[in-house]
Amino acid sequence: MNTLRATWLLTIRALREIVRQPVNEVGNLVIPLFFFAVTVGAVGRVAERAFGVENFTGFQMPVAVLNAAASGTAGLAITQDVVSGYFEKLLLTPAPRFAVVFGRVTADSVKAAVLAALIAGIGLLVGTGFAAGPLGFLLLVGMAGAFGFVFSAFGVAFGLRTGSPQAAQLSFLLFFPLLFLSPAFAPKEVFAPWLSFAATINPVTYVLEGMRSLVLEGWDGGALLRAFGAIAGIGGFTLSLTAWALRSRG
Amino acid sequence: MGGIRAEGLTKVYRRGGVRAVDGIDLDVREGQIFAFLGENGSGKTTTVRMLTTLLRPTSGRAWVAGFDVVERPGDVRRAAGVALQEVGLDDLQTARELLELQARLFGLSRGEARRRAGELLAVVGLEADADRRLGTYSGGMRRRLDLAAALVHRPRVLFLDEPTTGLDPGSRESVWQYIRSINREEGVTVFLTTQYLEEADRLADEVAIIHRGRIVAQGSPEALKSSIGADVIAVELGEDPSAIALAVEALTPLTAAAEKRVADGHLYLYVREGARLVPRVVVELERVGVRPRAVTVARPTLDDVFLRITGHHLAVQPPSTAGDGAAGPRANLRAAKSPEREGDR
Ligand SMILES: Nc1ncnc2c1ncn2[C@@H]1O[C@H](COP(=O)(O)OP(=O)(O)OP(=O)(O)O)[C@@H](O)[C@H]1O
Ligand SMILES: [Mg+2]
Repeated sequence: MNTLRATWLLTIRALREIVRQPVNEVGNLVIPLFFFAVTVGAVGRVAERAFGVENFTGFQMPVAVLNAAASGTAGLAITQDVVSGYFEKLLLTPAPRFAVVFGRVTADSVKAAVLAALIAGIGLLVGTGFAAGPLGFLLLVGMAGAFGFVFSAFGVAFGLRTGSPQAAQLSFLLFFPLLFLSPAFAPKEVFAPWLSFAATINPVTYVLEGMRSLVLEGWDGGALLRAFGAIAGIGGFTLSLTAWALRSRG
Repeated sequence: MGGIRAEGLTKVYRRGGVRAVDGIDLDVREGQIFAFLGENGSGKTTTVRMLTTLLRPTSGRAWVAGFDVVERPGDVRRAAGVALQEVGLDDLQTARELLELQARLFGLSRGEARRRAGELLAVVGLEADADRRLGTYSGGMRRRLDLAAALVHRPRVLFLDEPTTGLDPGSRESVWQYIRSINREEGVTVFLTTQYLEEADRLADEVAIIHRGRIVAQGSPEALKSSIGADVIAVELGEDPSAIALAVEALTPLTAAAEKRVADGHLYLYVREGARLVPRVVVELERVGVRPRAVTVARPTLDDVFLRITGHHLAVQPPSTAGDGAAGPRANLRAAKSPEREGDR
């Protein structure tokens, strides 16, 4: 069986299930928007004076995008398939294990892109603007998809390794320290030295800054390169972890 | 080509160090219905999981449809249809979607998958519910769908791990009929596991009895039963150990050469021409003052084979379905045994 074809079939199945649990996705859309709104509401007016950010709404919007992109549930869904026994039913087909797992991850990636488009679209309505124009908008959606993919693989590694739905969800909790150790709410320039250092070695910083550059500045090749480099780095780590977890399941 | 072979197949679980399957040899010919009969924990599922590539054998080798299960897992999966003991379905899909996906993962085109799913839904009687999500399915419906899912790719070998456990007699009968028909019409080799004597007896061309990970008897149901080479006289004595001891003593001169077994309040005598011996059994018991509740004589059943080999009955048997009752009504009336009082375990 062709790996790509199997992955595609299983992606469609996973997307169908995502659509069939709309309540989860409403949450994944509303919660980032809520944080977006309250952050802008709280800090927006002083942001320019406090740390020189003119368009704080545009500055915050990519945080909401990243937040939504990290809400993948592949790890959880796979542990549920393991518990229900459906995972084995899939393993009994000639579809490679790789496809069984990455169908879910790809679906998370598609979901991340859709949520990103919605959030960025709502952003436009509330005046974030979009410096890089329509193509930049598409690139932001693509970056969200790519980040969704590599971050989803992280949850999958947890889920496969532990077999526990709760552990699979832990990966999402790990996203928050990474987000708070990045310039999510203020630019790195105003950070205390230790936090600035943490942000410098935190790959999420570069993904966020890449997205921001599209919204606030236009086309900044360096920032975009760093963003994709960071996503590739995160992917290198999470995908190896997933491969290892898959192999250790025997 | 479409058969199953195993040589010294063994599984030791690392967790707990359980020797779940202990050097099994199998030779299931193409087109046979083969029943693997054994009680809880005897190693049936472990064997099925090794044969279907889900579990790596600790040692030994096995081939399904001519393919080595360790070296050619992809080919084994294409040749084998599998319905595991625990029905593994996904509640958010409909029955039709699940079958179509399964078919497409086996390489059928979209059109073929749709046709095959429709066909199988009709066969297992789920057409009317085909577009409902599986979360709303009953246990029996799930099992039927699981069976259909094992057949989407027209496998040459079908593995069924306890296909009728938990089904009511009517559904059991229809599963049996269905297994027979795919075996006859499509020549599919069937490897099924069961705890039910009647199932093995009525369905299988060949039965292997597995006990603590080893095959302790194998042959056609008829051959196994005639291996007892005798009738079975069952003397129901109740739980009083002294009565049992007295009875054994009193009957020894009468049935010196015969084998005896004591299990769940019965004394079983394996004798030739049992009917002629019964009156003398009754007289002898009378003489020593033992009053049996019942004395019956019957042709041996698979239960007697199991009892003779393992020293105890198979646990709970389902209520008998109507029909010729090839396993004999006796087998079904003997309910659960309690392990503490098994004869010579
Ligand atoms: N994953 C496992 N890890 C450790 N031991 C196991 C595992 N699975 C099964 N066993 C042990 O292996 C033995 C055989 O189990 P198996 O499931 O093959 O029996 P079975 O004949 O299918 O029983 P049942 O009729 O209850 O389904 C049992 O002692 C069981 O406890
Ligand atoms: Mg079992």
